[in-house]
Amino acid sequence: MVFNSLTFVVFFACVLALHAMPFSWTTKKINLLVASYLFYAAWNPPFVALLWISTVVDWYAAQGLVKSERQSARRAWMILSVVVNLGMLAYFKYGKFALENFQAIAATFGIDYQPPGFDIVLPVGISFYTFATLSYTLDVYLRRAAPARNFLDYALFVTFFPHLVAGPIMRPTELVPQFAEPRRASKDQLRFGLALVTLGLFQKVVLADSFLARPAEMVYDGQKIPGVVDSWIATLAFSGQIFCDFAGYSTTAIGVAMCLGFAMPDNFRFPYAAVGFSDFWRRWHITLSSWLRDYLYIPLGGNRHGEARTYLALMTTMLLGGLWHGASWAFVVWGGLHGLYLSVERALKHRFAGYRPGPLAIIGFGLLTYALINITWVFFRAKTFGKAWTVLSGMFGFNDKAEPILPTVHLVAVVAIVGGIVIAHWLMRARTLESAIARTPAPVVSIVWAVMAFAIVIAQGAGNAFIYFQF
Amino acid sequence: MPSSISSSNQAGSEAALDSAFVPVRLTASDRPGVAQPVPVRDIPAQPWGAILVGAFVLCAMLIGGWELYWRAFGVTPSYRNSDGQWVMQRRRIDAGEGSKTVLIGASRTLFDTSLPVWERITGQRPIQLCLEGTSPIPILQNLADDPNFTGRLVIDVSPDIIFTGFKYRASVLPYLRNQTPSQRIGDWLSMTFLEPYVAFYDPDFALATVVRRQDFPLRPGMHANTMVRKLATHDYDRNTRMWKKVVDDPEYRALARSIWAEDFGEPPPNMDTPEKSQKVIDGEIDKAVAAIDKLRARGVRVLFVRPPSDGEYYAYEQKYLPRPKTWDLLLERTHAPGIHFEDYPELQGYVLPEWSHMSPPEAERYTAAIVPLFEREFARMEQTERR
Repeated sequence: MVFNSLTFVVFFACVLALHAMPFSWTTKKINLLVASYLFYAAWNPPFVALLWISTVVDWYAAQGLVKSERQSARRAWMILSVVVNLGMLAYFKYGKFALENFQAIAATFGIDYQPPGFDIVLPVGISFYTFATLSYTLDVYLRRAAPARNFLDYALFVTFFPHLVAGPIMRPTELVPQFAEPRRASKDQLRFGLALVTLGLFQKVVLADSFLARPAEMVYDGQKIPGVVDSWIATLAFSGQIFCDFAGYSTTAIGVAMCLGFAMPDNFRFPYAAVGFSDFWRRWHITLSSWLRDYLYIPLGGNRHGEARTYLALMTTMLLGGLWHGASWAFVVWGGLHGLYLSVERALKHRFAGYRPGPLAIIGFGLLTYALINITWVFFRAKTFGKAWTVLSGMFGFNDKAEPILPTVHLVAVVAIVGGIVIAHWLMRARTLESAIARTPAPVVSIVWAVMAFAIVIAQGAGNAFIYFQF
Repeated sequence: MPSSISSSNQAGSEAALDSAFVPVRLTASDRPGVAQPVPVRDIPAQPWGAILVGAFVLCAMLIGGWELYWRAFGVTPSYRNSDGQWVMQRRRIDAGEGSKTVLIGASRTLFDTSLPVWERITGQRPIQLCLEGTSPIPILQNLADDPNFTGRLVIDVSPDIIFTGFKYRASVLPYLRNQTPSQRIGDWLSMTFLEPYVAFYDPDFALATVVRRQDFPLRPGMHANTMVRKLATHDYDRNTRMWKKVVDDPEYRALARSIWAEDFGEPPPNMDTPEKSQKVIDGEIDKAVAAIDKLRARGVRVLFVRPPSDGEYYAYEQKYLPRPKTWDLLLERTHAPGIHFEDYPELQGYVLPEWSHMSPPEAERYTAAIVPLFEREFARMEQTERR
């Protein structure tokens, strides 16, 4: 179920009530585990089996890793875990993509290959929980972490509903220890958790769904040729939409976990105030970028084997990171562009190692970073390369037959909301939300909270799924 | 204040990987290649109890004010004409009611058919599956593919919808196929606890809709494309009637007419030449023929109905979608009977406040007049089949 639904409101109220009951800690954990399975089954009950497979395989693989003394045996257990998890991901997420590409390659050699029907539904959140559970066996293999002491704690780590379907991607060392001792939110944790839930839902329901999704749709999914204004406004709208959608989900998840007494890590750190692309990736989808860094970039050699190998590792990581988002070459291009940006930035930093930008230059570089990130969003949002080129051409004024697409209200709304987001990110770039709230007068916090809750109610969201669920 | 699972802000010099980045709370991005510790989260030092109470009271007042505002505008609680509600009715066919009469089509048969009057006359209440602004062809195909449907089918023919293939509510069939258990529960919760009691809980009064409706200047080169306003209220089983405000408020009624009139200046999309127009019409009729053949093969009786339209709307239909090129062709090729309002004196002379739909009393009068005609046609079909 999605956070922005009536079903979740009732579900969460029941979970909170059960968690507040005077049950033993083990019973409460079992309650949370059952609730998490229900949360997942509310989409498609049979796919709970995939969660079980992933959970059981990695539990036994980690046990095997600990008991094995020979390195070859340890490696075998690790490979088993990787193959099972990535195998499920490959089958459900990339099977059709692989067949289509095979068909296209065969056609270039004059072979008319007709693949069998492959109408598979993508299990929600499979990319997220696969990475979470993989990090468990990989951390044990790399001797960074001990395996969980009991199966219940481990199963709850994999399944814990706040992070299950769209992150933040939790590491076992971040969450499993929290299940060791009884946890219940303090009154202030519960209240602040609810405030975070409100903030997250405001971002999703009001900003992303109500005001930013439509202008992006009208240009990216429509038939008309966009000009400079429409191309830029639609792309800016999408940059705001995807941030509010995904950061909104993460903030809600953090708030939900906090209401139950658990802590989850930051997943965003005001990314549109990033200066440069390495800075951006320390602020955007932090739990994915750090996962890719720790389990892909560093094992590929990282920056320890010379410049050429570093660039190769960087590009490989970003290309695969792009593919993680979806089975489409457009996502690969998106990842490739980020890899290219990071490589160019790295080269420039070496070339101008002594350069220290002043305040104005920092703002200039920040805006350049944001503009270049918007170019990448074109490939992320467009459903075809043709549409991506059309929008890109529009952004640079090359569409001769352009016609106005977006009515004035959308132009005003996008400029106001996305402008507000970028300014807020710059004001907050070296702060935390918590530190800003602590310095705000209590009545103002109360009013802002009330207005956000009111806006969520009157926005009447239709329970739209979060964009990242499809990944 | 620090909570049991938090610490205060930390500065991490080890994470300052470039001059522009100033970390304020360490995350996994600042700790490469190590096991990540249990996260820490601060609770800002604030009187959270008072803040929560204040926010709750203010929010309740704002919601109450919003509800009063819309009630003063003339809105009363009504079920949302949602995909979930439609799917509930569609599922009745697969839950033992497949032999009933089913209505499909666009908004005219949705607004103009009073299900209670129909039930009073025949003893049976039909299943209402009409969708505003939406061609019935995809629904017809869906029913044709469903062996559980063995009843009688009335298909509304609104020329500018069925013959253009326009689908405002294209989302219902994917929703029928993909509705999750969570959405099903959510639809039930909404229809049980919110919709019968809250007036503003209607897509027409959603925040974004209200903002979009404000008087923003038109961009050069763009035409007005005003969204259709709320025109109806709905019961639990989609029995629908025209909203009182459309009937009683001349200003609102004029607005509704002006919105229709925005489309009257030019032919429907992709129908700007007679050849293109006929191609689109033929394509839609072809789909209807194939689906009706399937339905007939398992004994379903199909009947078309062309409800009345009036004023500029009727003139628009006559100009771009005249009867000989649409209705007559449809009946000829599907070999199905049809009831056209122009052919029956008892189906003429109704009041259509905004040219397209009837007021509630007129809808009741119209239903009382047309249901016997339906029954007569269905009886005739039965006799023909027996022979």
